Amino acid sequence: MHKVVLIGAGRIGRIHARNAAFNPRLQLAGVVDAIEASAQSLAQEYGCPVLSLDQAMDDASVAGVIIASSTDTHLDYSVRAAAANKAVFCEKPIDQDLARAKSAAPQLAQAKLLLAFNRRFDPNFQALKARLDSGAIGTLETLQITSNDPSPPPPSYVAVSGGLFKDMAIHDFDMARWLLGEEVVEVYAAGSCLVDPEIGKLGDVDTARTVLKTASGRICVISNSRRSGFGYDQRIEAYASAGMVRADNVTESTVQVWGENGAAADRFQNFFLDRYAEAYRREMDHFADMLDGAAPSVGYADGVNALALAEAAAESVRTGAPVRL
Amino acid sequence: METIEVALIGAGRMGQVHGPNAARHPGLKLKYVVDPRPEAAQAMCQRFGAQAATLEQALADPAIKGVLVCSSTDQHLSNALAAVEAGKAVFCEKPIDLDLQKVLQAQSRFEGARFLLGFNRRFDPHFKALKQKLDAGAVGKLESLHLINHDPASPPPGFIPTSGGLFKDFTIHDLDMARWLLGEEPVQVYTTASCLVDPEIGRQGDVDTARTVLKTASGRLCVISNTRRSGYGYDQRIEAFGSTGMLNAGNVQQDTLQTLTEQAVTGAPIHPGFASRYQAGYRDQIHHFADVLHGRAQPLVGYADGVAALVLAEACDQSMRSGTVIHL
Repeated sequence: MHKVVLIGAGRIGRIHARNAAFNPRLQLAGVVDAIEASAQSLAQEYGCPVLSLDQAMDDASVAGVIIASSTDTHLDYSVRAAAANKAVFCEKPIDQDLARAKSAAPQLAQAKLLLAFNRRFDPNFQALKARLDSGAIGTLETLQITSNDPSPPPPSYVAVSGGLFKDMAIHDFDMARWLLGEEVVEVYAAGSCLVDPEIGKLGDVDTARTVLKTASGRICVISNSRRSGFGYDQRIEAYASAGMVRADNVTESTVQVWGENGAAADRFQNFFLDRYAEAYRREMDHFADMLDGAAPSVGYADGVNALALAEAAAESVRTGAPVRL
Repeated sequence: METIEVALIGAGRMGQVHGPNAARHPGLKLKYVVDPRPEAAQAMCQRFGAQAATLEQALADPAIKGVLVCSSTDQHLSNALAAVEAGKAVFCEKPIDLDLQKVLQAQSRFEGARFLLGFNRRFDPHFKALKQKLDAGAVGKLESLHLINHDPASPPPGFIPTSGGLFKDFTIHDLDMARWLLGEEPVQVYTTASCLVDPEIGRQGDVDTARTVLKTASGRLCVISNTRRSGYGYDQRIEAFGSTGMLNAGNVQQDTLQTLTEQAVTGAPIHPGFASRYQAGYRDQIHHFADVLHGRAQPLVGYADGVAALVLAEACDQSMRSGTVIHL
């Protein structure tokens, strides 16, 4: 059993705590949170102590640190945990500032760091990638990634989120890099504020289409909206020379209702805690693999590269022109 | 029903779609077939009891009230113009012409004419249902649109040089659908494209794979996906994202059979090409032309729509070549 501690007992921290606690190879050995009550309730739930940051970092028996605290602390805590020779599970994004994220390369480039792009661990998207890699449908040419949230976050969240591209589309930029198999050389993004004028007042957009192009000419479109109106819309279509592979939305049940006016399927699994429950579980299991000696399948460099695409997309919206990388 | 006599100009690929639909329509009679290749005209005449004729002969016959222009693209404009000036109602295959300047110059001569442009997808029952739901507010206010238009297999290289290129030949359908569904004119066009399917297409200066992003004044976004070769049939889909939901017109499979085995659940392939996929739409389009001829309807898609789609197609091409966003 590898001892791990959780930093950050918020919404996503609770998911990771649960998956760590239930993983047969991991022992949740403590919870750290600036808000005492949050740490306390979570620690109680899993029968582990509340720790200070120093206690967690200085305890040599702790093999891994799960960083699920606020975004502005991700980088510092990762550097500190890596320096203390611990394996790091770091929530996305690695940071909101590309230059700052890059500056941590000496400490993090070789670290045992899992950057938690959970969608890489979704069984549907993994199956899609396996089919693509098998060559069953030929060579990849284009990609359509659809990622629409069910409803917009409160304006207070938008203000500190880093904007649509760094906060939300960052997942899609990582998926694009993962599936395209080549780095992106050109980014164009068109953005609008159609969902909530408050988001626009904060200088952000809530609706966007981003087009990525690689050196060999592969093209990827990313569709984003902060509010779909029909649930959490998470799909990928990969077009190749001999066919197409598609990973569709997941419904809450397979029940369909048929009547005189037509047919209705069940609604989509609503939002990430449900839709990606299995992905989060597999992601934590991969962290256990790392503690058993495996190399991280997605790491620091992936976090930096996704952030670079997010910055390019934001720049493209600002300038109205494509950005060459 | 009283029948109205029409002439078909061009018995080629599209003529063979529209000619039979006109001949079989209870309100129309296919009287003449005009084609410079006598054997092509003859075959169609024999099937439907029509006569081979020259364009001049067909237009000089006062019994002819309508003309279907299905000739090669470079003949569309002159044929349509001749028919309009002879007082006929015209059904004209898309595009009006590949040259925007020529199309603009001729525009005034089409004023008041009964002119139906063959953007057949507006007549597809699935896309019509999507538009009706959208207009009825079934998903609130439209915000963004995704049009997928992938051909099953690339055309022979001999077709490319006279095609006008991917945007004027192929994307033009999507540009019309975008205008029809967005309900606002696009003000920004960005296109990026590659040659990934057939290097021969690239050598001829064209592309075979493209993505276009349109933006309207109010901020509505539309993505158009194109490829000359899907590898899995004729991929024709639309997704319309509104403020309270999404409308999705999916592909039509050749049958509804599913085969379930230990390995997989498999279904029928989607339609292999435009003739079968849009069969109902092509029929409905000619039915609409018959309504126009019988005075029951005004053309639903006209010359100005052809101009607007062509302007957008040129903007796509310009954006791709310059690597910049085109503002209209």
